Amino acid sequence: MCFMGRWSEERVINAAPDASSLAAARKLARPGPWSDTGSNDVLVWGKCQGSGKTPYQVSVDTVAPAYRCSCPSRKFPCKHALALLLLWSRGEAADAGTETAGFAQEWAAQRAERATVRERRQNDQPVDPAAQAKRLAERMALMDAGIDDFARWLTDLVRTGLASARRQPYSWWDGVAARLVDAQLPGLAEQVRAMGSDVHARTDWADHLLLRVGRWWAVTKAWRRRSTLAADELADLRVAVGWAVPTADVQGTEALHGPWLVLGAHRSDDGRLQQQRTWLRGPDGTVVVVLDFAAQSEALATPQLAGALLDATVARYPGSGQRRAMFTSPVDPLGMAASLGEGGNILQALEAESAAVAVSPWRDRHPVLLGGVRVCPDDHGWLRDSKGDALPLVDAPLDSLLALTGGHPVDLFGELEDGRVRPLSAVVGGAVVMP
Amino acid sequence: MTWLAELRTAALVGTARHPAPPPPAELHVRPPEGLSGEESLLDQAALADAATRASRASTTLDPADLVEPAPPDEVPQASGEAARLLDLLLTQPPVGLELRSLLVADWLQLAGASGRRVPHRLLPSLLSLADTKPGVAKQLDPALGTRGRWLQALKAGGTEHPPPTTADWAELKSADATTELERLRRSDPATAREQLTAHWDTLGARERAAHLAAFATNLGADDEELLERALDDKAKSVRDVAAGLLDRLPASARAGRMADRLRPLLRVKGVLRKQFEIDLPPQPDAAALRDGIPPDPRTGEPDRLGRLDAVVRGAPLDVWTTTAGRSPAANVALLKGEKRVLETILTTAEHRADLEWVRALLEVRTDLRLLKILPPGEREETLTRHIRAGTANPFALAPPLRDMPRPWGPALADAVLEQISAKDGGQLAAMLADILPAALPPEAAGQARRLLEQSDDDAARRRVLRDAVQYQSFRQSLTEAFQ
Repeated sequence: MCFMGRWSEERVINAAPDASSLAAARKLARPGPWSDTGSNDVLVWGKCQGSGKTPYQVSVDTVAPAYRCSCPSRKFPCKHALALLLLWSRGEAADAGTETAGFAQEWAAQRAERATVRERRQNDQPVDPAAQAKRLAERMALMDAGIDDFARWLTDLVRTGLASARRQPYSWWDGVAARLVDAQLPGLAEQVRAMGSDVHARTDWADHLLLRVGRWWAVTKAWRRRSTLAADELADLRVAVGWAVPTADVQGTEALHGPWLVLGAHRSDDGRLQQQRTWLRGPDGTVVVVLDFAAQSEALATPQLAGALLDATVARYPGSGQRRAMFTSPVDPLGMAASLGEGGNILQALEAESAAVAVSPWRDRHPVLLGGVRVCPDDHGWLRDSKGDALPLVDAPLDSLLALTGGHPVDLFGELEDGRVRPLSAVVGGAVVMP
Repeated sequence: MTWLAELRTAALVGTARHPAPPPPAELHVRPPEGLSGEESLLDQAALADAATRASRASTTLDPADLVEPAPPDEVPQASGEAARLLDLLLTQPPVGLELRSLLVADWLQLAGASGRRVPHRLLPSLLSLADTKPGVAKQLDPALGTRGRWLQALKAGGTEHPPPTTADWAELKSADATTELERLRRSDPATAREQLTAHWDTLGARERAAHLAAFATNLGADDEELLERALDDKAKSVRDVAAGLLDRLPASARAGRMADRLRPLLRVKGVLRKQFEIDLPPQPDAAALRDGIPPDPRTGEPDRLGRLDAVVRGAPLDVWTTTAGRSPAANVALLKGEKRVLETILTTAEHRADLEWVRALLEVRTDLRLLKILPPGEREETLTRHIRAGTANPFALAPPLRDMPRPWGPALADAVLEQISAKDGGQLAAMLADILPAALPPEAAGQARRLLEQSDDDAARRRVLRDAVQYQSFRQSLTEAFQ
């Protein structure tokens, strides 16, 4: 068993679903209302006296974060779980050594049982090759039809002109996206949906839409010729259309050992889905990205701190370039790195992007480690390297970057996207910080 | 037109009305035969997409636009618990927003005092809080540190006007010239006077009045000559300002003239000499008019009481003590029935900061204007006494209490807490809600906590006491964190 140890208060704060839950939890994070608290390597538990007669029973699995509370809150984790974790993180309650409370034990047992049942069901299910092939054929037929439909839509789009498409309401784009989802092409659907707002939000919408239409068209052509593609190329295409590879198919394929350095992480929330990207670099320089998803009401996996060294094994999804990966072992923090290694200049980063596009034209986000760049506060912010080349920033907390760097050259890790850099971490004063 | 521009035009209006351009020859593209217009345009769009992304260029910034990097911070940053508490206050305040500002200001003060500065990463949220909270902005230095000041200047974006220099004072716009003169009066009153005297004749009436009003700061006997000159000014507004300033100089020639006008009006009467009899001044002569006694109005009765006020305001206060042969305190008692005269004397004593009279007047009045004159220790003592006496109503108490330097001494805090917890003290509590937490000294925390624990239905009072208790305990943590 891997012992994760006590959480830091930051980690608890990051687990909160929103600021109001956290504020409520802080009010509860005092010993007063709590009784029967305790913890072991895996669980933290306690009873919290609420307004009712019976105290709420709170249990938290701190290793594979999961929360259970008998309160009716729909927040997840609720304020009681957060308050308990806060107390525990500060060492003010739930010390180890007491016997596990009955309700926590019961919950842990139920979870373990459900997990085994699920696993058994998966493992025990007799694989029926004929049925599997039939399902695959059905899916292919559905996707083929969807791609044909999409290609027709693109042809209509350029016949009537992009200017008239811009006059369409959002529901028009949403309708196209819904048809793509029905055809099992969610990756394309997401891009079309985003375009529905981009055509109004972006000043360069005409070029953006024209180039994106070109890329979509190329996807339809590549799809029809997928039998001629190499395995990596096909894998990249699958990512573009949103045909997911089941984790079970990745799990056993490889086990790349660490220590993995966390280069940076990004969280986003589009109102439907929360996403977290964590960029990692292995001892041999391999860069991978771990993706986590969660629905609105769920908690994302705990974020990793930029600069942390992790002892874990990962397996990569098929594809080219910097591939998606998943952890295949428990993640053990080993400590913090003092730097991210040697960064390149801006021209090298653009060359790397150019090379990556040549290999996989569908990918539009590339990790870049820039060395000795200065943050310039014009407009939305710029990065400028020692040679004088500059790239604009995107989604950048400019004040924070300036406060941390003081306008001095720093090493900076970010995502190069659409010719702009989204900064995710910087090396300042012998430590990796997140702006 | 470039290929890309032509492609964009065709795509915007649609191939139905505008054919797709031929593919660019320089890219050596050989499209398949027999493509429809739409397919050709889409193919070229795909080509444009790949070409654009594979050939992205960087921008070159003008080096002149680069910011000068921040100089190094000499002072070590606050760390550990102190840093955690500031982070907490800025990002997840566990207290109300008003208290939060107070505590952030306290943090800055404590950090400054113990030679620490704000950690760089917390600067942006601190500066945006300071944007809306003057109490925080005032305490930024020195805990802000070099990096913080650099960031502040950067955010201001060079919109600051350079301060006007004194060299070309005469060329400043009139409002700026007044501001500059006010500044100069604070630091170097003599130079300010010389400057105004030198330009006096070239200035308009409005400017003369506005500039002269700046002399209220650091007014002294040396200013008398200019003020006498201004009494002869042709503009009434300038004469009024001069008279108002001369009212504050009891040793001036004008005060002597006013004394000569006041003396014949005063008589102490009665067997026990217990009452002043005060006559109204006669019709003003030319000299009196020059000194600012109001002339007859064009219509209606002259304001004789107003004339008396002018004489009282202008004359030295010892005219009263010598006439009655008694102390200011005894004079105040003699004047008990003369509300209006007493009020005028109060204004005069305040303007001249005449401590003896101020003390005498405070025996009969609770007045912020008078309290402000007293030295801090005495001020607090006097106010405490007034509260204990229980004669002043909360509306009269709140302004002087709000004006007291914080934190208060234990005696005043004790008196106020007692007043607040009295039966109808809720009103005073509400009026002091925003300042009370920081005004109570640590010694008073225990009493506030006890009062809070007593059951009470007055929500406003409970809130004020709870805030006070919360503030004291958080402040305690701050003090410990900086030890």
